[in-house]
Amino acid sequence: MRRPVLGADQPMPDAVDRVVGTIRFAVDHAVPGMLHGRLVSSQSPHARIVSVDATEALAVPGVRAVVTGADIARDPRVPHPLFGVSRPDQPPLATDKVRYVGEPVALVVAETERAARAAAVLVDVEYEDLPYVTDPAEALRPGAPVLHDQWPDNACGDWRLQRGDVDAVFRQAEHVVEHVYHSPAASQVPLEPFVAVAEWDDAGSLEVWSSTQWPSAVQRVLAHMFDRPLDQVRVHAPPLGGGYGAKGQVKIEPMVACAALLVGQPVRLELDRVEVFHVVCKHEATMRLRTAVDGEGRLLARDIDLLYNAGAYGITDPGAAGNALVRANGPYRVPAVRIRSRAAYTSTVPSGSYRGAMTNQVSFAYESQLDEIAALLGKDPYELRRLNLLVDGDTYATGETMHDVHFIELVDEVASVIDWHAPPEPPPSATTVRGKGLAVILKSTPTPSRTECRVELHADGSVVVFTSSVEMGQGAFATIAQLAAHHLDVDLSRVSVVGPDTARTPFDTMTAGSRTTFSNDHALHEAAAHLREHLDGLARELLGWSGPTQHGDGCVSTSDEGPVPYELLLAKAGVDVVDVTGVFQSVGGEGMKDPSDVHGHTSVHWHQGAVAVEVEVDLETGKVEVLRCHGASWAGRVVNPARVRQQNDGCMIMGIGTALYEDLQVVDGQVVNPNMSDYMIPSVLDVPQALTSRALVSDDPAAELHGVGEMTIPATAPAIANAVFRATAVRVRDLPLTAERVLSAVRGREPQEGA
Amino acid sequence: MQILRPSSLLEACHLLESDPWDTRPLAGGTALVLMLRQGLVAPRAVVRLDGVDGLDGLEVTPHGLRIGALTTLTDVAASPVVQAHAPSLAYACSRVGNLRVRNAATLGGNVAEADYASDPPSVLVSLDAWCQVAGPSGGTRDVPVRELITGFLTTTLEPGEVVQAVVVPLDPGGRRATYEKYISRSSEDRPCVGVAASVQLRDGAVRGLTVVVGAVAGTPQRFDDLTAQAVGTTLGPSVRRSVASAYASAVDAMDDARGSAWYRQQMTEVVVRRALERIAPVAAGGGA
Amino acid sequence: MSEATDDGQVVRLKVNGAELSVAVPGDEPLATTLRDRVGLRSVRTACGIGICGSCTVQVEGRAVSSCLMLTAAVGERSVRTCEGLVGAEGAPGRVQQAFVDNRAYQCSYCIPGMVVSVDAYLGEHPDADVDEVRHALSGNLCRCGTYVSILAAVHDLVASARSGAAAATPAD
Repeated sequence: MRRPVLGADQPMPDAVDRVVGTIRFAVDHAVPGMLHGRLVSSQSPHARIVSVDATEALAVPGVRAVVTGADIARDPRVPHPLFGVSRPDQPPLATDKVRYVGEPVALVVAETERAARAAAVLVDVEYEDLPYVTDPAEALRPGAPVLHDQWPDNACGDWRLQRGDVDAVFRQAEHVVEHVYHSPAASQVPLEPFVAVAEWDDAGSLEVWSSTQWPSAVQRVLAHMFDRPLDQVRVHAPPLGGGYGAKGQVKIEPMVACAALLVGQPVRLELDRVEVFHVVCKHEATMRLRTAVDGEGRLLARDIDLLYNAGAYGITDPGAAGNALVRANGPYRVPAVRIRSRAAYTSTVPSGSYRGAMTNQVSFAYESQLDEIAALLGKDPYELRRLNLLVDGDTYATGETMHDVHFIELVDEVASVIDWHAPPEPPPSATTVRGKGLAVILKSTPTPSRTECRVELHADGSVVVFTSSVEMGQGAFATIAQLAAHHLDVDLSRVSVVGPDTARTPFDTMTAGSRTTFSNDHALHEAAAHLREHLDGLARELLGWSGPTQHGDGCVSTSDEGPVPYELLLAKAGVDVVDVTGVFQSVGGEGMKDPSDVHGHTSVHWHQGAVAVEVEVDLETGKVEVLRCHGASWAGRVVNPARVRQQNDGCMIMGIGTALYEDLQVVDGQVVNPNMSDYMIPSVLDVPQALTSRALVSDDPAAELHGVGEMTIPATAPAIANAVFRATAVRVRDLPLTAERVLSAVRGREPQEGA
Repeated sequence: MQILRPSSLLEACHLLESDPWDTRPLAGGTALVLMLRQGLVAPRAVVRLDGVDGLDGLEVTPHGLRIGALTTLTDVAASPVVQAHAPSLAYACSRVGNLRVRNAATLGGNVAEADYASDPPSVLVSLDAWCQVAGPSGGTRDVPVRELITGFLTTTLEPGEVVQAVVVPLDPGGRRATYEKYISRSSEDRPCVGVAASVQLRDGAVRGLTVVVGAVAGTPQRFDDLTAQAVGTTLGPSVRRSVASAYASAVDAMDDARGSAWYRQQMTEVVVRRALERIAPVAAGGGA
Repeated sequence: MSEATDDGQVVRLKVNGAELSVAVPGDEPLATTLRDRVGLRSVRTACGIGICGSCTVQVEGRAVSSCLMLTAAVGERSVRTCEGLVGAEGAPGRVQQAFVDNRAYQCSYCIPGMVVSVDAYLGEHPDADVDEVRHALSGNLCRCGTYVSILAAVHDLVASARSGAAAATPAD
């Protein structure tokens, strides 16, 4: 009897290639005859393109073409140039006008990267500047500069939810608190840049290799853009050198595919770091929360107004603001809730997914405010959470009934590890103070969505799983292999995984939203059932078996026959391969059908996480140091403990960066820190000396698997802000909690002493 | 772009002098290659200084601690000689950028680049160090680091001149020096404020004090008229506060991603005070 | 004069123990040469400004950013990449094996640079403790946040170096 494959610490099968550096990413892909692209990007936040003069650039030896948005717009082979998963508003290259600094305006295509680079600086673009707006609130005011003629109010999402008589509760409530919180744009910073290679064949089929989390979306968008049947667009998604949401949806693939079509040769484009910073960022958000509570601290009503900066194109908007709306109430029982969530176009970098997407911002607001309420009422923040956290059977703000929720277990776990009720260790000097803070979050998961797994059982007993889930370092393939070995009850060493190639691998909506483990578990469960049925059929038809069969340990048997190993069964039957497909289609999500009235089912299940920290604040500099950090997420069951820990730990480390210093700053319509010196991400020295995590599991061996890819990141920033408050009595409502911001707040509270 | 490899320092100076706008010296390369990549410079040729005689060595001479210009920051930081004679310089060199940068970047290149946010220049200014500068005439001239750096990436080096060595005056006895690097964001960040301080003590009293604030303005900020008040004192808490507060008022602080001008002024006060606490005579150092 | 021409000079390099000649433009960074001309794909460019460490290689045994070094100025100095740290018979080297054993990889874009840095530092400082290696590694950034596992690998390496040193010291 083999030991259980679920819960076993199995390494990734390509671990050595990962460590030695011989793993191949999209950035390593080359095809014969490929040309190299180089961007020419907008220098203006909002302007008409008067002319693009490529004369000098074309004179550079080796340059083959300078492709512009106008070239694409007038080419009949590109009938639908505008693209966008959420709303088709984005051209492959700016056409007629530019909408933000850094927007691609032209693509120089040359025989070498060097020639393309040299030529790109020679492309002369003449602009006629237009008035521009970078603040989403200003963008929604009448008379604001209009980014897209089709949406003259700059609205890119307007979602509403109302449950209960909110105004009546506010009128009668003992306490009403109201605060405004702000979360800035931030950058995902995958170390592998955006890269794509596109090649057309003579028959008009397109093949693309891209660093993408959404190969099926890329396939569909390109098929529509060029009006090709799906089977004539083939997309490969090699393992990613980091994604974190940045590589969701569709990014540079249309531009590269258009260039390859127009030039008539394969084209490769790899962005440099400054350009990567300009492709996509996290939504900037301004969040007003008004909350009514009784004297005991029970939450009675909430009125929430959210405003997101969509940037120049709605990569995930208008849908994203709806996702935010669903999560904005937090994991709390609140009888009366009103939420409005809007996003506005502005002349800034387009916003899109960012690990913990549309959750990090609202969790900072609602978890900060929960501690503000605790302070107002003199309650313990931990006890106040326990009083209000949702439990199974509670009704959520959307009206749906919660199930499989474990928020109290999560907050208990992190409070216990951080020794919540014990005072912090004494600080090392009179000018430093310490405090503890915690936060709990929920996140809906994309619903409905679909995952298919095709499973081949070969006559040699090996199993090949075909998946379009993307391996981006989270261990998707290794997890799928473990799940397949578990469900098929075969030895893990016999299982291999073939990754995304839309011509070979079946459909998967996307690798995002922490849905991969969960949905592949269901799909493989079904595939295993199909496989067993198929094998039973073979045994009956070709071997003459009768009666019920049992399967186990890679064998099939009946009360009379066997156990016969699968490979032997196939051999006896003369069958080379058995091929089955398992499908998981999550259903529901109808609660979000009407943006003006969100109610009903929104999520097939709920992601849940909690973080507790202890911080030290230097009162003279305002600098915050996270001393201890413990996170917990609800996993239900664990496929691989090492990878689950790495997800939870990595989320908190990323969260520390966004809590303390990450901020993509725009001044005069321009990002002023689009490089990794001015925009810093955490190093090993920024990891707290005590950083730990735990995935909570159910006693039920059939418990549902929950993804853990982003459960601790949304809780990290509010836990830190709450700890800073408990250390300093100063509340900072704007992220990040830079040293300067904390010092200003401390000074504002305690006027400067004389020297 | 041509890579030129002169066989002598004099030849290097001549190559640089012959086409001063389009020829650049190359030492460790960390600054120059960065500028090349960003298109900030596009020289016709670079002149390799590695392998050129006379730019290496690290020794104590009668004039001071002489550090050859091509000594890497890693080697400066790890040198027992530097640690013994100029510990604040060794420490500052150990805190520049990351280890890879320190393994390649040289002390001479660091000074000649005149990067406002680099750590060593303010320490060198605080120690009254000077550069031995070789020129195309075949001679050398000594230029105090304080006079060499005149602004953002700007020095008084003439066409064809190369920093040959950096010389730090020896401690006549009683020198205590420190470098305090304050970073406001990730541990890998460049300084928001860097303070180099050096005090000369005799019998527990201050004979001379220099304080230099780096990373707040285009040049290392040193105001000897503000430290004069410390002479003759034991550098006690009130003097330290007074010098710190005077520096905060005097620096012409700038804004960047690491802090606003206001914040840099505040941090100048804090970090100068902390630096002075560290070098104050032990009897006066502790307590309030 | 034109920046576009590829009429480079032929440069001799010593890479991973082998001598080779490549024609490179004078302004080409070593990272580009190793990656695109020599085919050593463990050398990766991410930030392009010497901050992140994805392009870390050893030059004369010390870690440097190959994006900030001109190929034509490397000269006789020996260069080693992560591929060159593989042991006999193609087995992972000591540092690589410690990373594999401790699951010190996620997306792994940064990992070869980490390995090269740890190998260089321990090569020069065989008695280093975990904290010293941690500081030496602080300029190698990992956005997945694999640092806890990486430090576990470092811990193993330091511990085995110490026990190895202890074993080599005759007991009295």
